[in-house]
Amino acid sequence: MSCRKRCKREIFKFAQYLFRLVTGTLSTDSVEDELELSTVRHRPEGLEQLEARTRFSRKELQILYRGFKNECPSGVVNEDTFKDIYAQFFPQGDASTYAHFLFNAFDTDHNGSVSFVDFVMGLSILLRGTVQEKLNWAFNLYDINKDGYITKEEMLDIMKAIYDMMGKCTYPVLKEETPRQHVEVFFQKMDKNKDGVVTIDEFIDCCQNDENIMRSMHLFENVL
Amino acid sequence: MAAGVAAWLPFARAAAIGWMPVASSPMPVPPKDKPRGRNGIIVINVSGTKFQTWQDTLERYPDTLLGSSERDFFFHEESNEYFFDRDPDIFRHILNFYRTGKLHYPRQECISAYDEELAFFGIIPEIIGDCCYEDYKDRRRENQERMQDDEETDPANELITADMSFRESMWRAFENPHTSTMALVFYYVTGFFIAVSVMANVVETVPCGAVPNRVKMMSCGERYELAFFCLDTACVMIFTVEYLLRLLAAPSRYKFVKSVMSIIDVVAIMPYYIGLVMTDNEDVSGAFVTLRVFRVFRIFKFSRHSAGLRILGYTLKSCASELGFLLFSLTMAIIIFATVMFYAEKGSGSKFTSIPAAFWYTIVTMTTLGYGDMVPKTIMGKIFGSICSLSGVLVIALPVPVIVSNFSRIYHQSQRAEKRRAQKKTRLARIHAVKSGGANAYLQYKQNQLSSEFMHQRALVCKTNPIFEVQHHHILHCLEKTTNHEFVDEKTYEASCREVTLVKQVSRSSSISSSSPHGLSCCARKKRKTFNVPNSNMSVGLQGSIQELSTIQIRERPLTNSRSSLNAKFEETVPLNCDQPYITAAVISMPTPPVTTPEGDESASSPDYSQANIVRVSAL
Repeated sequence: MSCRKRCKREIFKFAQYLFRLVTGTLSTDSVEDELELSTVRHRPEGLEQLEARTRFSRKELQILYRGFKNECPSGVVNEDTFKDIYAQFFPQGDASTYAHFLFNAFDTDHNGSVSFVDFVMGLSILLRGTVQEKLNWAFNLYDINKDGYITKEEMLDIMKAIYDMMGKCTYPVLKEETPRQHVEVFFQKMDKNKDGVVTIDEFIDCCQNDENIMRSMHLFENVL
Repeated sequence: MAAGVAAWLPFARAAAIGWMPVASSPMPVPPKDKPRGRNGIIVINVSGTKFQTWQDTLERYPDTLLGSSERDFFFHEESNEYFFDRDPDIFRHILNFYRTGKLHYPRQECISAYDEELAFFGIIPEIIGDCCYEDYKDRRRENQERMQDDEETDPANELITADMSFRESMWRAFENPHTSTMALVFYYVTGFFIAVSVMANVVETVPCGAVPNRVKMMSCGERYELAFFCLDTACVMIFTVEYLLRLLAAPSRYKFVKSVMSIIDVVAIMPYYIGLVMTDNEDVSGAFVTLRVFRVFRIFKFSRHSAGLRILGYTLKSCASELGFLLFSLTMAIIIFATVMFYAEKGSGSKFTSIPAAFWYTIVTMTTLGYGDMVPKTIMGKIFGSICSLSGVLVIALPVPVIVSNFSRIYHQSQRAEKRRAQKKTRLARIHAVKSGGANAYLQYKQNQLSSEFMHQRALVCKTNPIFEVQHHHILHCLEKTTNHEFVDEKTYEASCREVTLVKQVSRSSSISSSSPHGLSCCARKKRKTFNVPNSNMSVGLQGSIQELSTIQIRERPLTNSRSSLNAKFEETVPLNCDQPYITAAVISMPTPPVTTPEGDESASSPDYSQANIVRVSAL
């Protein structure tokens, strides 16, 4: 039944097409398509609310917003722009994979775009947060599917993305199994109960016991 | 890294925290961040238009004027802003570069003005963004062509013919027939003979009426064989001579031989010589006949005489791809339709015996010629034949506008070049008029000054000149005093040039005889220059006034010695420290400035100038 209907519809469309061909009105201008790309404009909340929610001062928020808006006049960053911006910092290698993971880490509500609020919240944690919060954020970054466990495959993806950013011309030369080896080292350190996955508690425990990591967490405190 | 994303650097650094847990070695120490206390707004006033921006924005590019301390030179204390006396419209783009990291080129601005502004603000033009880069490069190329055009033809106008060798002048005569009458005559004569030769080729095939003892019609060429042969010989002689002369005069013979025109020349005259060599060989005479076809190439020699023909040739060359496409698509269509027509007309006893035979029908139909020697008879054949003719029109009509637009573009370009050349003469004349106007104004001013000094009518003279002209004249006067030369007009200069040759021997002899050893002692180890400056002095002399070698300009000494005191205080002035780099003592010999013959005056004037002839120390 539906087959006959479909056939009828197809024949009708074909007849319409022939008719348009004969009368010369074949290509109708589709004006509607143009408007679909209407500019999405997003305005962040007021300065006071942001000041309350983050640990940045007014001036710092102003500076951040100006830079943000300069690069993304529409007020939101989509993934491609994000990748572009991040790639400019690492010209020798391919930063797109890592930027993809970063984007997912910043895009906390998973709507496909990072607004200024998301951006500044993320930065607030990274630059002004406690060590606990930073480690939490890092765990969130590594946990690609956000299920609370870091598996070896996820870690391998992240590691490969980081090594991709190095590019080709490194010393010593990058080998195929370097990321994998690095993942093994990481899991040996982090996975206490050897169940093949790293949970958040294992992660935080282990990092807090590691001096190097603790020190490096405080590294970027004075940025901005 | 594009400075436009410098604002995102804090983000990138913060995101680096994501690497920390997986790092296997400790992180390096971060650089000291400078305190971000002062991030003020900078006000830039460009000819009254105020621009304001953050200081950080400007400092993104520290190797430009605005980003470095060079801008402090333009700081204006009273208004606490940076003032630039430049074009505000172009400055807008420059400031946008700092803001966005991309330099744009506005179409309506003049390219040289834009380049100047970029150079002033220390921005290299190569960083123009992709969106505007093509446009910028196109305009720049046009501008360079225009300047090159001016330069090329400028020396051509000012070349003195005596300097060129005979070969060069001959080449110039060949390339630009308008330069001399001989060249013009040669140009027209060759053109005439080309026309005559082509006409003869055409006429000699016309049937000329039967000779009484023959039955069939003879062509004119056979009837008046000798006459045509003589005409042909004469033409070929002229062409050969012309070719050899060009070959001789060409600056690069290899390049000349490779050029298209020379190949046409050779092809035009070769058949005659080959014919001369081969007339006794009977079986090759068939080939010889076909060689005569090449004589028609003489008509291409006209392209030296006609610019339009050259443009056409150049157009065809530049549209080679479009022509190729036309040919290809036609071939495709011909094959398709020929096949279809053959199979449609097969078996009905028509002329379409094979597919290649059908090619002729297809070509004739597609180009809408329609001779009618091959016509389809079946209905299917007629249907396909009509489709064939309709599509033929389309296929041919499509590439033609491209070729036409190419031709039009090249033609307009050559028109523009012609216009520029015509305008250049008036332009140069205008520049020359301005220059000589300025010089004349100064001479006028001097004369007025002179006359006013005698007549004490300064007020009358000065009020006609604006203040800057007066200051300008004062500077010119200072320059005259400095160099002890004066500005004169052309006539007097040329006259003085003639006098130089007469006076040179005289002055030289006098200087050698009367040079004092004392004056040269301090600088004997160093350079000793004896200057003969008779030229300008001569010109002054012709004006009737006596040359003054008046002041010494010595940079280190505060007082300037006048001429009268020079001779008396000679011992004082000489022990100057000759090691000082600013002073080179130059001994200028003063020639006698006679108005009439030098010999007559020398005896009379030499005692007067004996002292002057000895030493004039002038620090240069």
